[in-house]
Amino acid sequence: MTAGPRHAPALDLDRTVGRLLTIGTYASILLIAIGCVLMFAARIDPLAGGPALEPGLIIDDITHLRPAGFMWLGLVVLLFTPIARVVVSLFGYISRGERTMAIVSVLILVVIAASIVIGNVEA
Amino acid sequence: MLLGLWLIGGGVAAGFFGSLLGLGGGTLIVPLLTLVFNLPLLTAVGVSLICVIVTSGASAGVFLERHVANLRLGMTLELFTAIGALIGGLVAFLLPERALEGLFAVLLVYTSLSMARRGRVAGGPEEETVVDGEPPDDTFFDANLSGPTYRVRRVPAGAAGSVGAGVVSALLGIGGGIVKVPVMHLVMGVPLRVATATSNLMMGITASAGAFIYLSRGLIDPFVASPTALGVFVGASLGSRVVHRIDLRILRGLFIAILLYTALQMLLRALS
Repeated sequence: MTAGPRHAPALDLDRTVGRLLTIGTYASILLIAIGCVLMFAARIDPLAGGPALEPGLIIDDITHLRPAGFMWLGLVVLLFTPIARVVVSLFGYISRGERTMAIVSVLILVVIAASIVIGNVEA
Repeated sequence: MLLGLWLIGGGVAAGFFGSLLGLGGGTLIVPLLTLVFNLPLLTAVGVSLICVIVTSGASAGVFLERHVANLRLGMTLELFTAIGALIGGLVAFLLPERALEGLFAVLLVYTSLSMARRGRVAGGPEEETVVDGEPPDDTFFDANLSGPTYRVRRVPAGAAGSVGAGVVSALLGIGGGIVKVPVMHLVMGVPLRVATATSNLMMGITASAGAFIYLSRGLIDPFVASPTALGVFVGASLGSRVVHRIDLRILRGLFIAILLYTALQMLLRALS
């Protein structure tokens, strides 16, 4: 297989995925920064132990301007940004008919799902 | 509030010097949180994995848009680093904390030796194309993962090394570049610049796989992770802007001494 025709369209996917990573990281850092400002304003000792992740409480915490809501949303966005990158790549490879790379993408998502499931079962 | 600012400041320092020295945030964050802030090692590792995702996302986005990182190669190998991270994340909870502290001390000594070696060869021309007498394999992956100026070889060996990098990443809260970059460059024939950028790309998914295990055990504390990650982001951004204006030889020598001292402290903590 030659590199030429296969590498030309890949450049667009690189750019899309790269932009997604940048936007996801900046969005999460913005949320985390807001959370930090609220934590300082509330004079919370960061080493006293923060609340565990309760997905159902995030929106409520944010509407009440509690720091943990912004922090957890930022951390969740951060954790899922690389995963979103794999999902976008998967669709990119499917649209080009690159079956092997699409399978690789699916397998990565399976491993990530396994780490979420096994982690929770073990815990 | 003061402690939060110290966490941000520590993150800035770790991100800044990590960016200048090519260490990645984790190598400095874990000792900072354990030895300075006296946090348990596994909590520090969980926070450090968050910081690794931050530095990976910020830098890999740029590397991809500039077409320096190899997305196909990165995704193929990160399947194996993610498997390694899953294993490492589970093993971390089976080992006594002292064993992990001892392993981290070994990592710090290895990192300082690598920096010393890099310092001796610094200034030489960067290798852009890898040429040797060995004919490339002609498998699907070898052909499809190669770049315009280089040919990837020994993908199975790279996959095995990637599993190891993933295990180390989730065990010790580092990006694993210290394993992946030599594997890609020396074993697979990937130019150093591409190997470094691709390793950065892979760190995100690797650290995520490990971080989910730590998250499920309640070991990612938002009040510690957030200011530290914010600091690392700011520090790494500053570092990447000034890296070309700084003579790194003295800084590298200083950090070799600091890493060796930190390794000693970590070892003493393991033995105490």
